[in-house]
Amino acid sequence: DRQTLVAVLQFLRRSNLRESEEILRREARLLGDDLGNVATVATSSPGVAAVAAVPPGKGEARGGCGVGPSSRREPRDVGSPCVPRSVGGSPLCWDTRVGVSAVVVEDQPDVSAVLSAYNQQGDPTLYEEYYSGLKHFIECSLDCHRAELSQLFYPLFVHMYLELVYNQHESEAKSFFERFHGDQECYYQDDLRVLSSLTKKEHMRGNETMLDFRTSKFVLRISRDSYQLLKRHLQEKQNNQIWNIVQEHLYIDIFDGMPRSKQQIDAMVGSLAGEAKREANKAKVFFGLLKEPEFDVPLDDEDEEGENEEGKPKKKKPKKDNVGSKSKKQDPNAPPQNRIPLPELKDSDKLDKVMNMKEAARRVRLGPECLPSICFYTFLNAYQGLTAVDITDDSSMIVGGFADSTVRVWSVTPKKLRSVKTAADLSLIDKESDDVLERIMDEKTASELKILYGHSGPVYGTSFSPDRNYLLSCSEDGTVRLWSLQTFTCLVGYKGHNYPVWDTQFSPYGYYFVSGGHDRVARLWATDHYQPLRIFAGHLADVTCTRFHPNSNYIATGSADRTIRLWDVLNGNCVRIFTGHKGPIHSLAFSPNGRFLATGATDGRVLLWDIGHGLMVGELKGHTDTIYALRFSRDGEILASGSMDNTVRLWDAVKAFEDLETDDFTTATGHINLPENSQDLLLGTYMTKSTPVVHLHFTRRNLLLAAGAYSSQ
Amino acid sequence: MGITEYGPYVINQMLEFAYRYMTTILEDAKIYSSHAKKSSVDADDVRLAIQCQTDQSFTSPPPRDFLLDIAWQKNQTPLPLIKLYSGPRLLPDRYCLTAPNYRLRSLQKKVSSTAGKITVPCLSVGAVSSRPSTPTLGTPSAQTVSVSAKVGAPVSLAGQRFTVQIPSSQPAGKSATPTTPTVQNVLINPSLIGPKNILITTNMVPPDAADSNPLKRKHEDDDDYDAL
Repeated sequence: DRQTLVAVLQFLRRSNLRESEEILRREARLLGDDLGNVATVATSSPGVAAVAAVPPGKGEARGGCGVGPSSRREPRDVGSPCVPRSVGGSPLCWDTRVGVSAVVVEDQPDVSAVLSAYNQQGDPTLYEEYYSGLKHFIECSLDCHRAELSQLFYPLFVHMYLELVYNQHESEAKSFFERFHGDQECYYQDDLRVLSSLTKKEHMRGNETMLDFRTSKFVLRISRDSYQLLKRHLQEKQNNQIWNIVQEHLYIDIFDGMPRSKQQIDAMVGSLAGEAKREANKAKVFFGLLKEPEFDVPLDDEDEEGENEEGKPKKKKPKKDNVGSKSKKQDPNAPPQNRIPLPELKDSDKLDKVMNMKEAARRVRLGPECLPSICFYTFLNAYQGLTAVDITDDSSMIVGGFADSTVRVWSVTPKKLRSVKTAADLSLIDKESDDVLERIMDEKTASELKILYGHSGPVYGTSFSPDRNYLLSCSEDGTVRLWSLQTFTCLVGYKGHNYPVWDTQFSPYGYYFVSGGHDRVARLWATDHYQPLRIFAGHLADVTCTRFHPNSNYIATGSADRTIRLWDVLNGNCVRIFTGHKGPIHSLAFSPNGRFLATGATDGRVLLWDIGHGLMVGELKGHTDTIYALRFSRDGEILASGSMDNTVRLWDAVKAFEDLETDDFTTATGHINLPENSQDLLLGTYMTKSTPVVHLHFTRRNLLLAAGAYSSQ
Repeated sequence: MGITEYGPYVINQMLEFAYRYMTTILEDAKIYSSHAKKSSVDADDVRLAIQCQTDQSFTSPPPRDFLLDIAWQKNQTPLPLIKLYSGPRLLPDRYCLTAPNYRLRSLQKKVSSTAGKITVPCLSVGAVSSRPSTPTLGTPSAQTVSVSAKVGAPVSLAGQRFTVQIPSSQPAGKSATPTTPTVQNVLINPSLIGPKNILITTNMVPPDAADSNPLKRKHEDDDDYDAL
């Protein structure tokens, strides 16, 4: 509330309402003296919306507001002096017409200080007239404009309804809803259902998503011609009210060019905040991969395995040369090596990389003619409690997070899971022996399964560290726990989200991890800091999925507000916003070359995005239920998707991304023309026996592993 | 409302919740109205009761402007550089859960007198604070070897805090203190121990209670509970 106070003071100063500002300041001094510090944060707030004057006639004060002495109630004063009394209170304490949400951030491009006043735009009983008038106009307009102007229906409907509810005209709100909710697009039906239960102002109080929706501007992309048409119509005298509403709650991003067709529009809309403004997707993104460090591959003592073809040792050398030659040229799209601090390679990491390269040499090249074999791990007797799965990069361990708050780790290979011996036993071993690393492991308690207890709620996300020493798990209890895979005990609990955490992931280089939860933010942590290093705030609803980019400089978050945002780890800025899904996003996958992102949601579609240009480049239709698992093969040739409809589908990624001509016109206007080629790209559909697919993983040799829990219905 | 399927227990659960919620609110409202010396409960009391209840039980995540503000502040600081060669990069010990969450107290001079006597370890169950942490059994000292064998059983109750303490005497006539009802000479089945709020103390009880002076006993009692 301090922020709102400061924002109101700013506004008063700017509008030269000196007296009210003084009075407010005097009242505010009763509250806190560190208002001065906060004022430095609340510097110039770009884009303050004009606040219409409050008609003096309607002076209703809320009972719980505790309005102060009457000297403060000046009719000129727009920033209602109820502010000082509302400490610790909710928006209910405000004078009904002034709902202030002040956001004071200076240099975030997509956030502006908004002082939005909820004025009664005319007579509530006439809202239906306004809306049907607009509807009639749009339906009578030219075909080419109609599709674009129809985008107005949904946001206008919702905002008008919410305004009626907020101003407590319940019966008008109900009849308004009844009359027009059937006209909206089918993909908004879920939202409308939620809205239908919001009939009173009190219902809106705890619903952060709706509050955010009210205060943020819904973005529409309309061509200049259509916009002129609309403006001309609305500025006629009788339609002024709708024009006011449009100006207040909608942001119209105008572009010059052909109006879009309904198909093009339908592909891009669907999110809770409309589409993305074009300048939101203009920042430069370093999507290239970081250079692999050069080091000597130890030659071939270990290559005495069964396959002693002469071809083998010869194959090694050219592979090493390739790595060398690539690193000579600096990829212009790759971030500088030290852009963000990354942990240095330890010896064990180097050994791991050597193993990786060896395995890569034996990797199967996949393609439309050579599909991967799929090995499915079914969790039996999980009783619908399996909520998260992860597999290590070398496919040696699999972890399951369960609704009974346990985390269970299994060994996939015949090698059992061993933990380090107890302190008593450790003091007995010979520390100088060569195989000391083997001797410290306790053979007596080795087992295939280790159960980790510690969470107090269902475990919704798990992630192995790249060096296989640590395991992360996040749960409904609001904590993210770090477990050691050498002692199989819990090491740290990171508390920050106070609400369920839906997903977590280690960075591809270890040390950093990201978590996202119900509080609508994603946080970046490091294992040795008890507080998050970065907070990525901007989503309107829960963050349901978080993934690192392969170069660890960017984080993609998918949310229940049906957008995907790409954040820069260095400074926390949102560099991309991708809209187009019609349901909450549950899976994200970066392509191995870092250029593309694949996303899956509850609407059953997989959407493909070009990160560099910020555009949608493909749509894969086929699944009929939520897609919970997406994974690119090791060289990016095949995209595998697993869904609740008990299938795994393989798509041809090479073909989907080839001949992408993103010319200037597309990037300037954001028009996309998606080819209807889902059928061509689909390489195979594999059904499981009533087992929804929760996780997919390509081994280093391009064998596809899948995991899910058998559900008997 | 768009609900197509529901399990059979859902209706009952919702009814129960609705009933419980309504009665709580109305009871609170009655209290408020009697505090304000009104003759009957009116809408304002109910409103106040609802508001207090929502602030306690149904908290909602912070509002967007607040989040954006703290995000902006947090994102201003540059990412900290990583120290080289520092082993497992973990937090200082006080933030980790790696410390043992119990303390072993050695037997006092009663050890010599326990030779030849039957000592029956028993478990006593009492109330406690819950800070879930994994018990990591350190090396027990020689006198408490038999205790660790018994404590081995409840290791499966990982995630619960327990203290292992071996007070040197437990006179038969000692009255149970309110915080730890001790049941002497009875082995409590670990299966009885369910939820996480459990303090398990094992007492080595010599059947003939050697009487130490009351002062010492009190000191031990205090010592027993200073871990709480």
